[in-house]
Amino acid sequence: MLAGARGKFAGLLFGIAFASFLVTFAASYLAGFLTRGFALLSENPEAKIWVMDPTVTSADLTTNLADWALPRVRSVPGVRFATPLALGSATVRFPNGTFQSFQIVGVDDATLAGAPAAGAAGGALVLRSPDAVIVASGGTSGKLQTPLREADRWPHDGPHLGVPTRRLARGDVLQVNDRRVVVQGVAAALPRFPPRPLLYTTLSNARRILLPERHRVTFVLVSVAPGTEAAPVARRIEAQTGLRARTEAEFKADTVRWYLRTSEDVGDMTAMLMLAMLVGSGVTGIMLYLFTSEHLKQYAVLKAMGASPAMLLSMLFTQVGLCALLGTGLGVGSCGIVGELAAALYQYPFRMMWFTPLVGLVAVVIISIVAALFSIRPVLKLEPATVFVGR
Amino acid sequence: MALRGADLDVFEGELLMIVGPSGSGKTTLVSVITAILAQDSGRCEVFGRDLSQMTQRERARFRASSIGFVFQMFHLLPALTSTENVAVPLLIGGVPRREAESRAVRALEQVGLAARAESLPPQLSGGEQQRVAIARALIHEPGLLVCDEPTSALDHATGQGILETLQDVAKRPNRAVIVVTHDSRIYSFADRIARMDDGRILDIVSGEDRANLR
Repeated sequence: MLAGARGKFAGLLFGIAFASFLVTFAASYLAGFLTRGFALLSENPEAKIWVMDPTVTSADLTTNLADWALPRVRSVPGVRFATPLALGSATVRFPNGTFQSFQIVGVDDATLAGAPAAGAAGGALVLRSPDAVIVASGGTSGKLQTPLREADRWPHDGPHLGVPTRRLARGDVLQVNDRRVVVQGVAAALPRFPPRPLLYTTLSNARRILLPERHRVTFVLVSVAPGTEAAPVARRIEAQTGLRARTEAEFKADTVRWYLRTSEDVGDMTAMLMLAMLVGSGVTGIMLYLFTSEHLKQYAVLKAMGASPAMLLSMLFTQVGLCALLGTGLGVGSCGIVGELAAALYQYPFRMMWFTPLVGLVAVVIISIVAALFSIRPVLKLEPATVFVGR
Repeated sequence: MALRGADLDVFEGELLMIVGPSGSGKTTLVSVITAILAQDSGRCEVFGRDLSQMTQRERARFRASSIGFVFQMFHLLPALTSTENVAVPLLIGGVPRREAESRAVRALEQVGLAARAESLPPQLSGGEQQRVAIARALIHEPGLLVCDEPTSALDHATGQGILETLQDVAKRPNRAVIVVTHDSRIYSFADRIARMDDGRILDIVSGEDRANLR
């Protein structure tokens, strides 16, 4: 019946596809930025256990550990090796006088565990050079720009703003808290949430360039002995050190929960989801109601011919169900295409995980039921005698 | 009160016409006879069953099994082919789709529309649509066929053809046809004609006396 009214059918399909697109997109965006929230963990697959201050519950909001933490963790049975990782933030000055806030990641001097490979420049080993740093955009764009002309670098006549720039490259010099650092490579590190430029260096260099603090190590990264489960070792570390020790999976889950609990973006996502569902319900409900109203005579004919109310309702729900299925397919499909394109071209935090189309489908089911409910009453109350002329 | 003492018998094998001006109660009467409307008082018995004693569900089942409808505006479902439209009453009655469509094709052959079996209603002429509607009304072999102004949307020649078909249908065993009309040009096809006005049946004229009505 519905397929016969092509305009309404297309409108209904569009309403459902649009809602499904928005809901799936919002859910995939949420999944994308939550994934970026634990990018630091994803960059360190060797670390099976993360040890931190007992008050730390996410990779984004941290405080540093006392100096005794590293040797104590190393002494726990089941720990194969443990390396320090320092996080800090600093304002980095560029040669023309402009500045930019960076997250500083200080990695173990001996193993360089946690440092990214810096393109063709020789991997993380470049950090062994004096004052060496590796920079990464961390999901930002246009924040690693340095002056193009030599004349605009470290000028004596004040900052040279608005000059032509190019992307940072090996050999460029920057200042962190008035300390000189030399860029030895630009890495393609995982984008962060929230996006921020990254500066990787050794822990000793991090101590040099960051403002003095009593404690400098933020995490101890633990690799467990072969054949040993990470979780029992983590519990043992907690018992013997009093620190918080989480397996990689536990810490990722902690971080996701922390974002869900504290991030304003989750509220924005929820608002987007609700808006998408409201728009979808509105468009779908109105289109279906209009369609049903215009075709009441046909329902009346069927009722006159003996179709039961249950049969008419099943027809209505079958039509809505078909539209829901097609609309969801169109919406989720186009969401996948648009999202992946946006992620590839603009590093958009889009990640379509197994549950995101499911969220879209559930939303569409709810929307469709609401839309169908709008139209049930006129069908049930329909007087079959209207099929006769004069009624 | 739309009907005031309508007293009428319809016999097997006859084509009965109900005629009268607008508002005379023709439609209400056939609505009661076909178990679409329930009368407030009085008795309406069809095929030996008292309709007033039936529940809504029983009425729907009764219509699905015993009544065929032909409407003035055909009321074919525009998204369905002729075959699918004709199969609708069987599907309502729970006949499997494949069997229903196979019987529908045979029904279309009987009304001379085998070639238009896959056509959609908008692709058919008015006369063809009405013949599809007749095939639909007869597919489940109802005892009573009710036609509401079956010729008023058709030209005269096509209308005459439709009435010939209905006349033929009425002669089949265990069947009666009621035609509601005010088209005096088709009175000649009736076996009896019931004249109504103001909710009453004024008189019932036999076929021989139909000339007096013109």
